[in-house]
Amino acid sequence: MLDIQKKLKEIGPFVPEEDDDLLVCRCEEVTKGEIRKALHQGITTVEELRRFLRCGMGLCQGQTCGMITRRIVAKELKIPMGAIEPATARVPMRPIEMEIAGNEKK
Amino acid sequence: MDRIAEHPILGNSPEGKMVTFTFDGKELSGYEGEPIAVALRVNGVMVHRYTAKRHEPRGVFCAIGRCTDCVMIVDGVPNVRTCITPLKAGMKVETQYGVTGKEGAL
Amino acid sequence: MKIEHKELIVVGAGPAGLSAAIEAAKSGVKAIVFDENSKPGGQLFKQIHKFFGSKEHKAKIRGFKIGQDLLQEAEKLGVEVVLNATVVGLYPEKEIIVKIGGEVIHYKADAVLIATGASENMVNFRGWTLPGVIGAGAAQTMMNLHHIKPGNRVFMLGTGNVGLVVSSQLLQAGCEVVALADAAPKIGGYGVHASKVARTGVPFYLSHTIKEVEGEDHVTGVTIAQVDEHFQFIPGTEKHFAVDTICVAVGLSPMAQLLKMDGIVMDDTKGRTVPKCDRTGATSIPGIYAAGDVAGIEEASSAMIEGRMSGSAIAAYLGYLSSDSSEHRVDTLENSLSSLRQGMFAPENRGKKIETTEEGIAISQNLLKAGFVTDDEITRFPGFRKEMKVHPVLECTQNIPCNPCQSACAKGCISIGEHMTSLPISVDGSTCVNCGMCVASCSGQAIFLVAEETRAGFGEVTIPYEFLPLPAEGDGGFALGRDGKKLCETTITRVRTSKAYDGTALVTMEVPTEYIDKARFYKKIG
Repeated sequence: MLDIQKKLKEIGPFVPEEDDDLLVCRCEEVTKGEIRKALHQGITTVEELRRFLRCGMGLCQGQTCGMITRRIVAKELKIPMGAIEPATARVPMRPIEMEIAGNEKK
Repeated sequence: MDRIAEHPILGNSPEGKMVTFTFDGKELSGYEGEPIAVALRVNGVMVHRYTAKRHEPRGVFCAIGRCTDCVMIVDGVPNVRTCITPLKAGMKVETQYGVTGKEGAL
Repeated sequence: MKIEHKELIVVGAGPAGLSAAIEAAKSGVKAIVFDENSKPGGQLFKQIHKFFGSKEHKAKIRGFKIGQDLLQEAEKLGVEVVLNATVVGLYPEKEIIVKIGGEVIHYKADAVLIATGASENMVNFRGWTLPGVIGAGAAQTMMNLHHIKPGNRVFMLGTGNVGLVVSSQLLQAGCEVVALADAAPKIGGYGVHASKVARTGVPFYLSHTIKEVEGEDHVTGVTIAQVDEHFQFIPGTEKHFAVDTICVAVGLSPMAQLLKMDGIVMDDTKGRTVPKCDRTGATSIPGIYAAGDVAGIEEASSAMIEGRMSGSAIAAYLGYLSSDSSEHRVDTLENSLSSLRQGMFAPENRGKKIETTEEGIAISQNLLKAGFVTDDEITRFPGFRKEMKVHPVLECTQNIPCNPCQSACAKGCISIGEHMTSLPISVDGSTCVNCGMCVASCSGQAIFLVAEETRAGFGEVTIPYEFLPLPAEGDGGFALGRDGKKLCETTITRVRTSKAYDGTALVTMEVPTEYIDKARFYKKIG
């Protein structure tokens, strides 16, 4: 488990970057800056980012931005990419209408 | 964009049955069974939807049903992935604004 | 709720999944394959180029043909392939939830193989959400499955094999490729793939990436700039291209979410999540296997062998095959797989800086930076030979596992030897009969037939040609160098097509003898 206070001290304050307005999550329209800011507010995992900012929670379920998000987390928190858990995988793995999800074959 | 009439490796493109459909009320035509997105591209339609937050245009991105960027309102149903949904005669295809509604919704 | 029972459920009808189902079915296993797409074959039907490898790896056969063969074999063996069937969940007890039509169906299997393949990586740059920015896979899908041009003027980001191959395919589809760029300092894919693109005149920009894509509601242009070793833009190095399409080909990631949700032990190296497997793809849960790109990104040729290995192991797991027979079969397949994992692009060489070939010859640096071997560099490779009479010149300068050219020549003009990654040698003193089979058999389109002098002051160069319109005998035009620049005027003296050439035309052009070692492409006037 990461010591959040220690990590926050280590990475220092949030410093705006020129490309902070670049979209990372195309579906929910979450920017690089929003993600970086959240990391400086004590968020340390992809899972928490999803709940806090909804990045990776849209229609595509993080298919496109998952890797980009992990890369940002790794760089910002100064931890290796491999140490960052990807988002939890759960049913349904693909977009599916609730109507169909509930329609189990008898 | 143009259809490829003759390809050096794949030969002549198969000719399907030409059908008509509407895009935002305008009558267009395409081959029955090809993805809606393909028929739209041949007709020069690049913008499939405008996003909810930033109101930015989006179109085909992955073309295999993963990224969900190409979703439109098809026969009244929103969030239909046009890159993997086959074209049928008489389909009503509409630009999607935000997650559901019409232009005014944004 | 009803649960349907199956012996073997395969998720994904691509090269790995189909191969596994075929191999298992051969021993009597009843296999069902689910695929979310409306057509089977995974990416095989988008691969219109000839594959590398040796005969056992289906070398020199085009990907879509391999796909057709696999489907036929599967059908013959009674493998059930269910399309438009989306697997939405997998549980440790080998329960699988599949969406088919308007309902979800629960299945339970004795064995499960996950062969879901990979998804494309993306990079975000200014303008990356604009319509007209597409994945390289999207371009392939549009051109090769749906027969439309993805765009008229295309910019390609990424010089791995996907970026190079899709660039070639764009040219074949009649699109203009304005340039390729890569943030890395050297071309990532096979040199021969790069050379196919470079000789048509497409420039490469290494250590460059996209700064900004312009356009109101669709792409109208792109600005790229050079990056330093920390991938930061260097001011003042910007270049602008007017394009309507940007293709992004920056690598693939295994689609292993199903395995992950199943609680299988995963391995996470460099941010790529793959299941921990043994050589047959057996995961940490008995009876659940993984094969193909989902277990680690490689070529379709490797995926097919991996699938076969899993299929054999599954047959043994289900009691259809003795473990001895299965082990023996897996050993044989593993040998075949290892032969594909050799050479400069082998998995263990990823990221390594290789300066010389296995033969000790210095690698062409220009090939890595600009996509073509220079006129001076080419002479040091064993495929280069000078002779007055017609003879093959093999411009294959990197050690890759591929050897169809050797067996294509019945006259012994080409030698690779036992080791399939060795550079091909144009054999001194051999007699070429100008049959052209070597030219057509080279998946890298790197073989040319050269005759130094056919009449006073002139010789002939025969090139592989996979574009339309095909030139005709007597056509005039320009001979282009390996760099795609005009060398001299030329006349087409012969155009050969044949079933045996499998779609590759052989175009012979006459050039002054001084250009004989330089002319490698043809462009019609106008």
